[in-house]
Formats: sequence, structure tokens, C-alpha cells
Amino acid sequence: MSVSNLLENWSQVRHAHPVDDKPHDPYKWAMAIDLDACTGCNACSVACFAENNIPVVGKERFQHGQQMHWMRVERYWDEDGREFPDQGFQFLPMMCQHCEAAPCETVCPVAATNHTADGLNSQIYNRCIGSRYCSANCPFKVRYFNWYDYPTDEMVWPAEMTQQMNPDVSVRSKGVMEKCTFCVQRLSAAKVTAKGEGRIVREGEVQTACQQACPTGAISFGNLVNPESRVHKQWEAQQVDLVKDKQEKDESDEKAVLRGYRILEELRAYPSVMYLERVRESAV
Amino acid sequence: MIDSGFDRRDFLKVLGWSGAAVALSGCGNTSIEDGKETVVSYVEANDYMIPGIGVYFNSTCAQCDAGCSINGRVREGRVLKLEGNPDSAINKGKLCALGQAGVQHHYNPDRVREPLLRNGSKGETITWEKAYALIAEKLSGVQGEEIAFLSGGVSGHLKALLGNYLESLGTKNHFVYEAVAPGVTRAANVKAYGVDMPRYRFDKAQVVLSFGADFLGSWVSPVHFSQQYAQFRKGVNGQRGVLIQVESKMTLTGANADRWLAVKPGTEGVLALGIINALGMATGDVAELVKGYDKARVSHETGVSPGQIDKIAALLKLRSPSLVLAGSAAEGYAHGSQNAAAINLLNQVLGNVGKTIEAPVSVPFPQMAPSKGNTAALKLLNDGLAAGKYKVLFNFAANPVFTAPGAFKFKDHLSKAGFKVAFAHYLDETALQADLVLPLDSALEDWGTQVPEYMTEGAQINIQQPLMERLHANTRGMGDILLNLIKQKKADEYKGFEDYYAYLRGAMLQNKGALGGGGTDDDTFWNTTLTQGIVKLAGTAGALSAHVGAAGLTLPAHAAADEQYPLHLIPGVTANLRDGRHTNQPWLQESPDPLTTIVWDSWVEVHPKKATELGIVEGDIVEVTSKTGSVKAQVYLFPGIHPEAISIPVGRGHDAMGRYARGYGVNPFQIMDAVFERETGELAMHETRVNIKKTGQRVLVVKDEGSAGALQMGRKIAARVSTDQVDLSKEV
Repeated sequence: MSVSNLLENWSQVRHAHPVDDKPHDPYKWAMAIDLDACTGCNACSVACFAENNIPVVGKERFQHGQQMHWMRVERYWDEDGREFPDQGFQFLPMMCQHCEAAPCETVCPVAATNHTADGLNSQIYNRCIGSRYCSANCPFKVRYFNWYDYPTDEMVWPAEMTQQMNPDVSVRSKGVMEKCTFCVQRLSAAKVTAKGEGRIVREGEVQTACQQACPTGAISFGNLVNPESRVHKQWEAQQVDLVKDKQEKDESDEKAVLRGYRILEELRAYPSVMYLERVRESAV
Repeated sequence: MIDSGFDRRDFLKVLGWSGAAVALSGCGNTSIEDGKETVVSYVEANDYMIPGIGVYFNSTCAQCDAGCSINGRVREGRVLKLEGNPDSAINKGKLCALGQAGVQHHYNPDRVREPLLRNGSKGETITWEKAYALIAEKLSGVQGEEIAFLSGGVSGHLKALLGNYLESLGTKNHFVYEAVAPGVTRAANVKAYGVDMPRYRFDKAQVVLSFGADFLGSWVSPVHFSQQYAQFRKGVNGQRGVLIQVESKMTLTGANADRWLAVKPGTEGVLALGIINALGMATGDVAELVKGYDKARVSHETGVSPGQIDKIAALLKLRSPSLVLAGSAAEGYAHGSQNAAAINLLNQVLGNVGKTIEAPVSVPFPQMAPSKGNTAALKLLNDGLAAGKYKVLFNFAANPVFTAPGAFKFKDHLSKAGFKVAFAHYLDETALQADLVLPLDSALEDWGTQVPEYMTEGAQINIQQPLMERLHANTRGMGDILLNLIKQKKADEYKGFEDYYAYLRGAMLQNKGALGGGGTDDDTFWNTTLTQGIVKLAGTAGALSAHVGAAGLTLPAHAAADEQYPLHLIPGVTANLRDGRHTNQPWLQESPDPLTTIVWDSWVEVHPKKATELGIVEGDIVEVTSKTGSVKAQVYLFPGIHPEAISIPVGRGHDAMGRYARGYGVNPFQIMDAVFERETGELAMHETRVNIKKTGQRVLVVKDEGSAGALQMGRKIAARVSTDQVDLSKEV
């Protein structure tokens, strides 16, 4: 697509879901993460390194904030001034939230990041010119920039280690923005297989790398428009509606609350990741 | 996954050689170009070989001893990624960060590639023939008692073969040493339950009260326990399991607790007896024992409030069965056995034995069961070395120069051994002291069997098989090396085995019936075994002894603080770095510590209150001094530690092991005092006392958390809800 073509058809390219005339069909990839099951062990994060050819930047670059972990586990503790964090810590796996109205998409001068028909926030490396506007505009800080040409760096990828690289995933070079793709290479492969068999991808047929590794099964991932999918059932049971920026349940006076929420929902980015609140026992 | 039987060796030849062409062509030199190997064209490849399509093979993770089964993705002859094998009862398709990083062990650029013989301070490349001849020469005329073999935990056929080799040398000096192992807990378990590691049923428990057992991070079988934990949290009918963690330094498990209790270091047993007292359920000599442990005294000694003790006792009474665990924080003291005994007693009083603590199953081949050992074994070796007893010392899968407590002066004593042979993947601290270094195949290149210490449903023998051809032509499998060495002594007996693969196959086929392959032909059995990667066995379940008693249980009075060394040093054992054997895997170095988010470096955890008292802020470099020595490291202000203690993680501070390990952080083993647990003689890892002094230097701590630190600034980012506000019974 040339740039002029791109600009002429801007409303198509810059297609912010959800809209009524273009429902998600047959796929809308989404996630649900149960923070009560998450132990903060980092298995997801390392699995993501292994799957997605993510460079290890080293201590000095890490200090400069140039780390590349698409999936990171954030850690919080109570801020009420007590002596010990006696209800433990709060862990939060954080990756691209694949917002339906993603703030990063609107600011890209070259439409390198945009929405796919199956509801992913995609990043086209070849189109990226490295303006980093998207990163500046991301409320979740999940976009990572290649400040160096990591594939040619002997400390990052010595010859032996390049043999581990996943051939299904592009290796990114200097000046390119990257982020979690919901393991799009796995999704594509599953979709191609399904298409060849004249069906859509079944529930459980495809897993993201983080989901597959997670020892407690805290992460579920699937097709939100498939009523059979676990993700669909979870979102439904928690009464979290993808297309709303204020959930009805939050307005109600019911005493027992549901755990499902989306982070910074009020920013109207419509994230595709629902979190389930961590639970703490009240009796001890 | 390939289900049909096929000849695996042929497969590897095809896959490996053609794969090597693809893999190495980028590096500029291949043995194919030199004409030493043949390229097998894809035109002739077997049906299952499709360029661009991954093939999956089962094997066993060797990153720790838990024995998780892995499923390796192989494409164009290279292993790319490891997933958990869903058929394993241990990890059920899951894999931890450490396991994921197994490929970086295999592809590590700093692996030893040739046999090396010491020449002054340098290692000279020699041939394998010469290496074997040299070992034979050094062994000739040496008495059995002058030979020592030090190893980490070994199991399966390798253990049997090693035993045979040692027997052929006429030595009984096999020292099994794991730097971080629940040695004291095992001994206490034998006393309380009759077995050293019972089967814990987190999934059946309604309350888990853990005294410093980091079962979600680094304790025994973390991936398996994590899965059970998920079930425990879900509970039945929305009745969610409650986790209470008691320890002086927060572990990953502690960070996930509903209630985390910072006790004064070493008083875990006192709290356990206090809870028994508060329960009021004990009779006989137990009641007599706990009589003195009233709330006021226990609260005074442990620092846990009387109200909290009441709450815990009430909860344990209300929700049964529960599960009480003794972990490294409880066992790490000179009275560690007594601590663990008090904790196990609480389990018995609560009637958990038989409900959440079950008899373990074991493999019906005791000669393959894992050999275990802790620092007591190393101490024995160290004393022998100091006395100059050993003329030949072998070392395999242990790095004592790095992990021995500084007070052992192990490196100095090691130099008194006549001839030191190290079987090594990397030039680690111990291999650097050796006279002869023999390079090993990686865990993804080697054959083997592994028997996990901790079994779950039924017993299993795990199969380890190569996922690809050797990366480096001159490395060898440990089994092959042992077989060659044993042939030096018993040529006739072992001449039928061309290599370890043949030995392994032969041994497995010999026991085909017992291994569930009765009635199938050899090839079918063997190929099925390799395809599945696991041999599942009925196993034999023992019985737990129901002995309840307080005989011999006495806890020492709380010791007065040492004026010169007022703080306890708690070595932090993290899920990713363990004892430091994988520190050279960059994914693990850059994976932030879950609790502090620090990367690529060591740190000293200091409670904010103590830091204020000492005038210390984050990033200050402090000197931590014990009777044995001192180290300097950056401070991290951490509320999850008792103010009377500080903690430094173990695993970093290598001065060898390659580019990703050397020079990052400090090694707290170096300043550990030689204080031993009274009953077992194991190292009391939490007994070292230290003081800290500011050096005046300050650095920026390299960590993942942002400028807001651990605070959410009032936003709903990582949210939390208490059980009385939420109805979990209707959740999907």
C-alpha cells in the first residue's frame, strides 16, 4: 500500500474497533489473566524471550531503560505505611493490551501500527521509521524500541545463540519499534490450518507462549467471539464488555463484586486483556 | 509429535546432519564443507521431515532435579524452544523460567569444547584418548580410599553406572553434594512420618501454613506445586484456600500469601508450638510440651501479635484439612531439626497426616533412586582434602569452589588433592582448579534416565534423549565417559556396550516387563518409550508412620544479640538462579528478581526502618562483614525482611563461567560461617551473623520498577479484593 493510497483510505486503515458495521468475525483474540493465580514467577516472561527472538540487552542498557521484555511482571506492595507487606505483594503480568481504540495507532505517521481484522494491534516492522510516537502515547508502556542493532551484537547474540532463534518470527533491527503480538505467528499458523480444513480455529488449538508456560494456568487466551471459548465465558461471567469504557456492574450497588476489570479503562482505549483481581483472605 | 515407531538414530543422523548444514553455514566453517560429513538432501528425507515445520520430541528438563518432562521443538535440525510435556504428572505441560532457559545452556557460547589438560595456569587441548590414558595412569597404584568422587544429585542408569565404576576402583568415597537442598527437613520428615519426602497435597488443603518453604519458587518441585497451588486457590464451591507464610525474609511464596508474618529469625519452631498451645487440641506429652508456650511468651519471642496467633489457630480449627510445611527458613539454624520437628508436630496435632500428607510412591528400582546430599557430605570431603587424603578427585555436576561456605576454605584444601578431574559444561570456579577438564554434552544432546525425588501420581522414570546432534564435535555424554572409564577396569564385562546409548537401551530392554512393556517386541517398546519420554510405573506406596510425640523436642532459649555482628544474614535462594549453576544463561540474568525487580546484579535487602536507623538509602554500597569475610554490594530497601536481618541472594558473584556470569554481583557463600545443624551436621545457612557499614559509594540500582517504586499512586492497576466482598463460586 503506497502512502497516498494509505491516506486516501485512512478510515479503513485506521479502523478502530468496535464499530457496528464491522463486527469481529470470525475472530477477536483476547486474554484474561487471573491475578489470584499469578505467582509472579516470570515463566511467562522468559517463555516470551524464547518464542519471539527478544534481545537480552545487558546491564548497562537495562539501566538506560532499554530493556525489551514484551511480557513483564510488575510488582506492587501496599502504600499504607505499615511495617511489613503482610498481605504479600501484587504481581501483574503486563504486555501489549491490544486496545480496540489504541492510542498508539493514531499517532503513527506511517501507519506502521494498526488494527487487524481479528482484533490485534499489529506492528509492521518494515514500515516503521522509528519516530517512537506510539511508545510515547501508550498508557501501558509496553512498546519497546531497538536502540541498537542487536542481531549483530556479539554479547546479545553470539553465533551459537542465533541458532536458537525462532524462524517464524522476524528479527528486528535498529530503529524499529516492537511489542507483544499475542504470538501472531502461532495464530497465523492455526488459522491457515483451520482454513484448509474449512473451519475456524477451535478453542484450545492455539496458545500463546506465555499461556503455555504459566505453571498456575493464570492466563487464558482465545477467540472472544466464540461462545465456547474460556475467554468468552470469563469475560461474560465477569460482566466486562469489550465495547464499554464504563462497565454497568461498577455502577450497581450489589455487595459481592466481580473480579474482572481492565486497566485504565477510563482512557477509552478498550483493551483486549481483562484482569481478575487478586483475592486476599479476610479471616486472617 | 510423531507417534509411529521409527529408528531414532537414523532420524537424528538425517535431521542432525542436514540441520547442521543449515545451522552452521552462517558461521563460515562446517565439517560438511570440509568433506567430513555428508549432507542428506531433503529429497531423500523421511516423511516426517518437512522444511519449515517443527517436529516435537519428548525429553527431560535438566535445569533442576524436579524432573519436569519437556517437549522440544526441533526445526531444520535445531532445537528452538522447550515446552512442558502435557503427559507428565509432574508438570502437566507447564515449564518454569529456569526450564525455558535450558536452550541457553545448550547454545551457550562459553561451553567447554575440548578436553583440557593443565599446563601451568593454562589449559592445553588434548585428545580424548590421551585424557583416558592419563586418568588410567593417575589411577594406577592408587588405593581405593585415596580416590574421591564428588557429584551433585544423580539418579537413573547414570547413578547405577557410576556406582559400578566406583566399585571397580574399590572406593566408597562418593560425596553427593547439593548446595541448596532440604537436608534437615528430610531428616525431620523421617522422624515424623517415616519417609524423607512425603507427598504433599496442596490441592486437598484448605489452609497452607508454610514456615519458609518457598514451594512456588525454589523448593523441591515448584512447577508441580504451582499447579496444585492454583487448584488450592480455586478451592471447592468458591471456598478458596488460604496461604499463611511465616519467615524472616519474604520469598516468592511469601509474596503470594494471604498473611505474611515476619518472625524473628530462628523462632519458627516457637511459633509452631505456640499455635499448638492456642489450638488446645493436644494431649499427653505434646500438651505437656506446649504448656509453657503461651501467647504472651510466644508473641514476645517471635514478634507475632497474640491476636494474630488466635486468628491462625481459629482458622486452622475451622478449615480442615490443612497443610503445614517446614522449609529452608526453619531448617537453616543450628536448631533446625528441632524447628522442623515442632512444625511437623503441628501437622500431626491437626490430623493432617494421611489427608494432605500422603505416603510417597517410589520406583521399584532402588539402585536408580536419586542420591541426595547436602553440605555435610562436602564437609566430610573438605576435611579429607585438608588432611591430604586424596590422590585423585573427580568432580561432576557440583561447583563447590563457588558454593562452599567461605569458612571451609575449600579452594585451598582442594589444591592438596593430587590429580583433579572435572567433568564440566563450562569452566566454572571448580573446573578452573582442575588438572583435567572433560567437556560434557549439553542436556539436550545427551542420553539418560532420570528419577525424580518427588513423585506425584504413580512413579515415573524420565527419559532424556538428544534433541539434536552435538553442537561441538568433541564433547561427550557423561554416560559415555563413565563407560569408557569402567572399561579400563572391567573390559570384559562391558565390552558388549559400544556406547552409553547401547547400555541404556540394553538395560531398559532387560527390564521391559517391569517397565510396562511386557508382550511388546523390543523395538516397539523402545520407540514407544522414547516417543513418550516417560515410563510410568505403578510404583510402590509406602506407609507413613503415625507416630505422634514430643520426645526429645526442646527449642533453645532465644540467644542474645551479638554486639559485633548484630544482624542475621539470610541467603536468598531465588527461583531462577538457585545455587548459581545457571547464572550464565542471559535470559535468567535479565529476568528481574520477582520481589525486588533487580537484574544483572546482587543486592542487600535492608528493612526501611533499619536503613533509616543506619542512615542508608537505596543504592548505597555497603560492606557486609561476618566472622569469615566480607562482601560489598548495593542496598535495596525492602519491607519484606525482618529488621534484625539482611538478605543477599545466592547464585551471582561468579569469577568464572563465562561472559554472562563473570563479574556480576557478589557471592554470599564466601562470607558464610561454618555453623552446623546440631542433629544432621548440615550447614546452618541462616546462622551467619553480620554487620553492615556504609562505604560512601552509591550507585543507581538497575531494576525494572519505575520511579514510583512499588506504589500504584492510587490507581487501579494491580487490584485486590478481600474474600468477604467477592463470590467465587460462580466463576468460570
